Amino acid sequence: MRALLGTVLGLPLALMLCGLLAAILPVDWRQWLVLYLLLSVVLWSALITLAALPASHWRTAVWLVAANGAAWIVLQTTGLYGAAP
Amino acid sequence: MKANTLRKHIDLHGWLGMLAGLALFVAFFAGALNMFHEELHHWQEPYVAESDGGEGDLQALLDQVLAVTPEAAKLMYLVPGDDPVALWQDADQEWQFDHASDFNAAGERVKKPRSELAEFINELHYKLALPVVGLYLMGIISVLYGAALIGGLVIHWPKLKKEFFALRHQGNLRRYWKNLHNLVGVISFPFHAIFAITGAAMGCFALLALVAGTLVFGPQLQGAITDATEAWPTPRASGESAAMAGVEAYVAAARAELPDLRVDWIELQQYGDRNAVVDVAGSVPGWIAHHAHVVLAGDDARTLTVTSPGNRPFNHAALSPVYSLHFGDYGGLLVRSLYFVLGLLGCLLFFSGNVMWAERRTDRQGPSRSAIIMLRVTLGVTFGVMAGLAVSCLANKVVSHSPWAGAVAWSEKGAFLAVLLLTLLLALRAAPLAMCRWGLRGCIALYLLVPLVQGGLEGFASWREPHIHLVNTALWAVAASLAAVEWLRVRRLRRAGPHPLWVPAPPAPASEAELASS
Repeated sequence: MRALLGTVLGLPLALMLCGLLAAILPVDWRQWLVLYLLLSVVLWSALITLAALPASHWRTAVWLVAANGAAWIVLQTTGLYGAAP
Repeated sequence: MKANTLRKHIDLHGWLGMLAGLALFVAFFAGALNMFHEELHHWQEPYVAESDGGEGDLQALLDQVLAVTPEAAKLMYLVPGDDPVALWQDADQEWQFDHASDFNAAGERVKKPRSELAEFINELHYKLALPVVGLYLMGIISVLYGAALIGGLVIHWPKLKKEFFALRHQGNLRRYWKNLHNLVGVISFPFHAIFAITGAAMGCFALLALVAGTLVFGPQLQGAITDATEAWPTPRASGESAAMAGVEAYVAAARAELPDLRVDWIELQQYGDRNAVVDVAGSVPGWIAHHAHVVLAGDDARTLTVTSPGNRPFNHAALSPVYSLHFGDYGGLLVRSLYFVLGLLGCLLFFSGNVMWAERRTDRQGPSRSAIIMLRVTLGVTFGVMAGLAVSCLANKVVSHSPWAGAVAWSEKGAFLAVLLLTLLLALRAAPLAMCRWGLRGCIALYLLVPLVQGGLEGFASWREPHIHLVNTALWAVAASLAAVEWLRVRRLRRAGPHPLWVPAPPAPASEAELASS
């Protein structure tokens, strides 16, 4: 169950965390898009592994939902979404 | 690391392995055979002794396809070879293909039934031969596989050196499977890490792009992906026709740019139009990221752009090794053979992982229905897939040389499915230990038999043809690998009894009188 939660909620979280990295780095994300996608896959797998550590399913779900929400809010403070090249 | 955390990692590793293990077994076994994909394409066709092995005429094929199917000019791939292939999209955007041998002397298309064995093995590898959802399913499976690998690394890192020499025979059967699993896993970890990442990236590409576009980058992502992955933007037809330079000129222009280029395919877009673009794609030997593209104007073969190792944008440089590391096509036959061996070892890893999960569950919770079903399904699927592919190869040769040669593609897939289902049913009924013994021996016999049947039907002189020789050697190597596993199994059983899960429990006494007498 925790692995399933990690699989479903880990994907958007991994992509948003790597998106935050793209927003921080001084290099245009378009120039390293393939690496971004590969990094996201590795992070997604790592998040599935981490999702198994909390003591209960509920804790995993709460942590993942909260992390997704926080990442999404922080992402809105960056100019990444729809930014012109 | 705390014992509780370690236990959680072990549990997760076991569960993820169990969930993904059978699909990965199918993908790895088919993938190991698929290392000889090009050779399988030759092997699957009836052997023709008088073939000179020279390159077929690509220009003639291009002209013939366009003469009977003008819409193919929009997008077409030409693949060189002794019987070159043209792949093109019809009006419904469905991919069609023509071999040079599909046309008669008058230039008419005379389609003859062809084997699809190599393509079926390829489809089993990357999408379990499942339509629509197969690719995405394998993508998710690859991500779970990656998570299981991370968990495996966390579990084994502290005792890595010790486990490298730990294939001992003391203790029960489970200990042996565990040592074998650890040894194979430790040796081939880098290989598995490559497959987990590249497999997930390829299988989940559409999903990743969808979620990243929705949450992170917005609609601009689509254009960025096109720029990052394509050598040249897709041209639009101008409506003005123009004379084309021709395939020979394109290849000559590409070789002028990259003298070492080995042409793998030629992509033609809007051929015959003033805006036509031709991409001569291939490999530059000596590089892991060996892919190269020379993009030319269709009318005068002038160079539009060249991307090659050391001369390409970072995205292309990052994408090329994703493919080459996954397909193992960067180091010739030696690297392909290494991938073949590691692929078969991967099968052993997934098989032993599932067996360990079932035995561990029995040890913890006592005899359980889920453990015995898992063991039986594992035996059924693994032996079913191995035997199914061997029978598929046999069906290819027998049906190709029979009056029903037109049904060869159906017979290959039908034989595989029938054997898989039959073996699965048998595994659900037979005692696991007997199933393992006869399953292994049956598969060994089948893989020994296939090259003999091929030689018997097509003449043993055909074994001298390099591609047939290589495929037959690979099939015998599978038989030899299975014989090695059988030898280990027999030796292990001789030294210690099997885990109780493998042996059916004796029937319970029927009455109190029987209890008393016993």
